[in-house]
Amino acid sequence: MTQLTNDVEKHTALYVEAFNRGDADAVNAFYTDEAVAVWEPGKPLTGQARIDSVKEFLSFGPKMTAVPRQSFVTKDTALLIVDWSIETVDEDGNPETLKGVGVDVLRLGADGNWRYAIDDPYGQAE
Amino acid sequence: MTTFTVDFDPNNPDLTDDTWTQNEIFLQVFNSGDGELFNALYREDSISNFSGEPLTGEARLKFFKEFLATKPKLEAKVTFHYTAGDVALIGVDYAIDGVNAEGEPFHLEGVCTDVLVKGEDGRWLMAIDRPVAKSGLVA
Repeated sequence: MTQLTNDVEKHTALYVEAFNRGDADAVNAFYTDEAVAVWEPGKPLTGQARIDSVKEFLSFGPKMTAVPRQSFVTKDTALLIVDWSIETVDEDGNPETLKGVGVDVLRLGADGNWRYAIDDPYGQAE
Repeated sequence: MTTFTVDFDPNNPDLTDDTWTQNEIFLQVFNSGDGELFNALYREDSISNFSGEPLTGEARLKFFKEFLATKPKLEAKVTFHYTAGDVALIGVDYAIDGVNAEGEPFHLEGVCTDVLVKGEDGRWLMAIDRPVAKSGLVA
């Protein structure tokens, strides 16, 4: 179980690295095909809409930091509670800071890799 | 013998893929006071944080039996739910009223995040619960 926890925590760091490189394809590879992302509260995205949203968001050159606060890892499913913040620019080019406490559900694939199944960055109030 | 007002087979527990049914089964089994049956809503390796620390396997079963033996009453209302293939995340507002070992009443309330998964046999079970109490002790 310790090994899996380490892997999952490494997953967050690798995701942040891909995000900060602006590599949309790499970021999208961190999600299952059926993944749900709720980057805007109350508006879950799936499939092509989710993939396209990553490309659009990364086009502003955002930089993320993310620190897992808690992780609960079963043999094939994990729940991570993550403190995160993103420095980006709004549509007018003005600096903008986004932050929240994310609730991430990960699944272990048949290939031995963890992927986000549900990404709810504003999943917890504080 | 506990009767359930929702379609539920205690010999083959399945929380189903329906959010309302999941919550209703969870409530009715919790409120039955049967810790062993409540534990059967979880997989062997599932993690429950009801006790205030992450428990799995035998330790989780032991806690559920002790905690539910005094028949605390759970109420829960679903606040959000997302399903992604064979995994689901649901959020609930919950409240628990019970009586502690000294016979004094206690009240807990807060928000709980639950992760459910569908196994290879098609049954949906709890994988992880994570209650965060607003008042009182964690549970």
